[in-house]
Amino acid sequence: MDIKKLNQWGEWCIWFLNPLLLLLGIYSEASKTNNILLWFGKLHPLVLHFPIVFGIGIVIYFLFFQNKPLEENKEKVVLVGNSLMASMVALLGLFLSKQDTYDTVTLNLHKWGGLSIAFISWSFIYIKKIPNSYKKIIALIYLFVLLFFTHQGALLTHGENALSIPTPVVVAEEIKTVDSSFTVYEKAIAPILTQKCLSCHGPEKVKGNLQLQSPELIVKGGKDGNILNAIQNEEALLLQRIHLPNADEKHMPPDGKLQLTLEELTLLTKWVKAGGNFTKKISEMAKTDSLAILAMAYKAPTKAVSGSKNTAPDLKEYNSSYLTVNYLFNGSDEIEVNFFQSSFYKKEQLSRLVKIKDKIVSLNMQGMPLTKEDLAIIVQFTHLKKLNLNYTKLSLNDIQPLKTMTSLKNLSICGMELNQNSLTKFLEKAPFSEIHIWNNHSNEKEFEQLSTNYKKIKIIIGDNLDAEIIKLTSPIIEQDSSIIVTSLDVVVKHFLKGTVVRYTTDGSDPDSLSSPIYTKKLHFTKNTVLKTKAFKPGWISSDIAQKTFYKSDIHPDTIYFVTNPDKKYPGSGAKTLTDYELGEQNFSNGKWLAYRDTTMKFIIGFKQTIHLKEAHFNAFVDNGAYIFPILSIIIEGSNDGKQYKKLNEAKFPSLEKTDVVRENKSFSCTIPAGASFKFYRFTLLNLKKLPKWHPGKGTPAWIFVDELFLN
Amino acid sequence: MNEFLEHGLNQNRRKFLSKLSLGIGGLALGSLMIPGLFDASNEEELFANVLPHFAPKAKRVIYLFQNGAPSQLDLYDYKPMLQKMHGQDLPASIRNGQRLTGMTANQAKFPLVGTKFNFAQHGTSGAWFGETIPHIASMSDDLCIIRTMYTEAINHDPALTFFQTGAQVGNRPSMGSWVSYGLGSENKNLPAFCVLLSKGKGNGQGVYSKLWNNGFLDSIHQGVQFSSGEEPVKYLTDPEFIDRGDKRKILDEIASLNQEAYKNIGDPEIVTKIQQYELAYRMQMAVPEITSLQNEPESIVKMYGPECLAPGTYAANCLLARKLSENGVRFVQLYHQGWDSHGNLPTELMGQCKDVDRPSAALIKDLKQRGLLDETLVIWGGEFGRTNYCQGALTKDNYGRDHHPRAFTIWMAGGGVKPGVYGETDDFGYNINSLPVHVHDFHATVMHLMGIDHERFTFKHQGRRFRLTDVAGKVVNEIIS
Repeated sequence: MDIKKLNQWGEWCIWFLNPLLLLLGIYSEASKTNNILLWFGKLHPLVLHFPIVFGIGIVIYFLFFQNKPLEENKEKVVLVGNSLMASMVALLGLFLSKQDTYDTVTLNLHKWGGLSIAFISWSFIYIKKIPNSYKKIIALIYLFVLLFFTHQGALLTHGENALSIPTPVVVAEEIKTVDSSFTVYEKAIAPILTQKCLSCHGPEKVKGNLQLQSPELIVKGGKDGNILNAIQNEEALLLQRIHLPNADEKHMPPDGKLQLTLEELTLLTKWVKAGGNFTKKISEMAKTDSLAILAMAYKAPTKAVSGSKNTAPDLKEYNSSYLTVNYLFNGSDEIEVNFFQSSFYKKEQLSRLVKIKDKIVSLNMQGMPLTKEDLAIIVQFTHLKKLNLNYTKLSLNDIQPLKTMTSLKNLSICGMELNQNSLTKFLEKAPFSEIHIWNNHSNEKEFEQLSTNYKKIKIIIGDNLDAEIIKLTSPIIEQDSSIIVTSLDVVVKHFLKGTVVRYTTDGSDPDSLSSPIYTKKLHFTKNTVLKTKAFKPGWISSDIAQKTFYKSDIHPDTIYFVTNPDKKYPGSGAKTLTDYELGEQNFSNGKWLAYRDTTMKFIIGFKQTIHLKEAHFNAFVDNGAYIFPILSIIIEGSNDGKQYKKLNEAKFPSLEKTDVVRENKSFSCTIPAGASFKFYRFTLLNLKKLPKWHPGKGTPAWIFVDELFLN
Repeated sequence: MNEFLEHGLNQNRRKFLSKLSLGIGGLALGSLMIPGLFDASNEEELFANVLPHFAPKAKRVIYLFQNGAPSQLDLYDYKPMLQKMHGQDLPASIRNGQRLTGMTANQAKFPLVGTKFNFAQHGTSGAWFGETIPHIASMSDDLCIIRTMYTEAINHDPALTFFQTGAQVGNRPSMGSWVSYGLGSENKNLPAFCVLLSKGKGNGQGVYSKLWNNGFLDSIHQGVQFSSGEEPVKYLTDPEFIDRGDKRKILDEIASLNQEAYKNIGDPEIVTKIQQYELAYRMQMAVPEITSLQNEPESIVKMYGPECLAPGTYAANCLLARKLSENGVRFVQLYHQGWDSHGNLPTELMGQCKDVDRPSAALIKDLKQRGLLDETLVIWGGEFGRTNYCQGALTKDNYGRDHHPRAFTIWMAGGGVKPGVYGETDDFGYNINSLPVHVHDFHATVMHLMGIDHERFTFKHQGRRFRLTDVAGKVVNEIIS
């Protein structure tokens, strides 16, 4: 093939490969590979030496042979070939990195080093005509990058001592029997180190120049020196490293590797703090020595878990809409299970969990319709620590088998029928340390004796308030409107079962004997004051709930303001007063008219003369918001709309200092019989000066009015 | 590119561009090997496998927010000094020129107010409680009382927003949304984050839906507000002529249409919509079962107080909170309005306490007797405290207190907190003497109790990783058991 063509093909390949390389490099964590690519990855150590040799050759060429350059096309073959190989090697390296777990810091260095080699090699093709001195500088940088970063690769595969003289390796002997004649080191420390540390600090890899497989090597320490002794005020190096936060770069074991458990952490700490002794036997130590106790109790995992990936099974298959099965936390081996919504409970869901029974430590089956068969399944979950069987319909007899579950510490059986005798029997030889037995009729006295008998078990009985006598809440009058146009239905409610609501409509207070009992909705056709009160045996009867309903059978033909309301509360003009819509509790909702600096005055007019008997105003009173009751209502009548005659005035008490009011109130004024008019003028006076005790003393009070009812 | 350089590099634009097409081929091949490279953020999914970071002490939270800021000086932080100096001016050395609100900054005098209420010590920690909250006081041995909370905001809305979202501006996700995002729902038939509102008779301050907003998180994490009526979740019941099978079919059809739209447009909100319809469908079954309070035994009714049967009261919300929490809702957020006693404090406080005292204590007792308190964290507190001096006129038995962000009291119970009293304020209850707890610290601690490292729990939005604790917050290890 023509040499030019060859170069061109080579260049094209590189242009394809290098962007790919960059992309995979950046997203190397996220990228996925298949087995074939992984196999290609294995070629990385095989081919990586080619571009190193080529690269060094090119450096020498750039440094020393620029006065005798190769013929252009030949030179390009060398440069393109080198670049192509560098890129290939880097790509294979990326595949290889997926295969095994390496020290992430070194791996990252190597990865980016490799990529820069590929890219510098690439640039060589295009810097042909720049001055020689620049080329030499680039060549030197290239040489450094080449040697330094490829050495990182060697560290990855051969351990940190790749270039130092080999030392003989001693593997800790396997411990065959377990009794107190062993040292703490043999019983606990060595197994921990073997399982969690030796993969990097052992016979195979020697990171940081540290090996931990024998006492001599441990004492020898690593590149930062001794690891067991506290230096001045600092903790021993070993303890420093294992106690650093996981995210810290120097934390051991490194993030991603199998971590120390709390127990192992404690053991290592206590052992190092006690002097890191290799020879003292457990039997020689004090029986109360916590280190000895921990060491005796320590059970090395039977199978060392290899690799850094969480090998715990995926729990997705066990989960459903009505059942959650989760690890307690990320990296935990322990599982908690919650069942929800009894109507969807199926026994199969529970029996499926048997597959993971040894990992379940917490089970919540509150409210599930369980049978004895279900319980037989639960009993198989021998590692269960916490069990919630509140309101499950099981009886105390049914749950006897739970007593065989030695790990079960916390049991809740709220709602279960039980008495002192049955519970005494149940708690005999039970493994529990806490039991919740609340139900709505148990009381403390009944179980007092039990608590003293079983001091080790915390028996939580809960509160029973049956005997306490408290006050009922008032009935709820369910009718938003208080205006009777022709007639109005009113519903009265009380939420507590067994409560009797009595009512009156004549203004008197309801009593427990003679007042009628509310049974069906009430039907009102005239002005009514409805008073209701709730009664129930064993309870104090409620306060009175009352509401006034106004018949409003007269509707004026016209209504207009004499004085305008405050700008902030204009309602929807004068017709607000006769729109049959009440403003309710919220005085800034636009359904209210308010006056403060001016006196409220308005006129209603009819086409025919009419005799008014009574006018009711619905107003809002809230002393916290400076809204006081209407002081007085003056009604005047006129037939020509010019000359008005005073008909009546009604005055109302203001508030006392102790009053805290925030409610709708009605203010009425009657009109003496005898006269009929076409026009009526209303004047509503507000308090001009708030009293001294009020925070706004001296300033005028507001009045808020939303409706006028006429009779 | 200048010609000299172009020549030196032996490369020109045409060659570069034509070869770049090969590079794009390389990129395309590479992208095949990186699943999800061009997908929208899938951080969410990653979290599901990573959280909790460590063993959680609390699986669920019930936050009894006392909106408007209850007076710590009349409830928890007993200061005999204030009674001794009643009516005298607040020493300038104590106030130290610190800012006040616009409501009292112009007052000529700042007369100190000793509480009108009697205090007594309760429980083994000897914590002080005012006489208006006897039931809460009786739970003293379960309470972890923090007397040295402090915040940065001095007005309700920013302070409330700060407590709920970790920032004073209202565009960040609420605490409950973060928890929903990080831990998901325990019970798939209920939202992970529920909100319940109630109103006291005292001077009220508004609560707005931004407080339980999802911010930049997916809107599925928004708090679901239960309404105060008899039907806590509106529009959940089907019309009579639609049975559940039909409903299923309708939803499946809508979902397939939405799927189609998502394929075309790719808006993640469409996926959220599908999920929300599904959740609502499952809630149709779950919610009525949980929210019907009528079946509660009478002794429970008495425990929470008979108001607990009237929907929309604080008592009812406490009872509902217990039921939701018991059924796996991660975060139940209550708000009780009416604590903003600028004037008439004694009367208003009594009214508020009457609403709150019995149900708050009942909630703890109830969780405890069911064996749930150890895994449920109950929090009680407002957005700041109230001043030791009087706002408005001070009379023999009436006074008001202004906002005070520099030291106030909240308490927590259950969920892995250590009962006792934490921190100490000065004799005037104005400044913190020792062990201050900032709002960020509080958030960090709550997250820690739920098994979350607040520093690692982030969401990337507009180029920045956000946390509930922003760039601050220390876990208060001393209050963790």
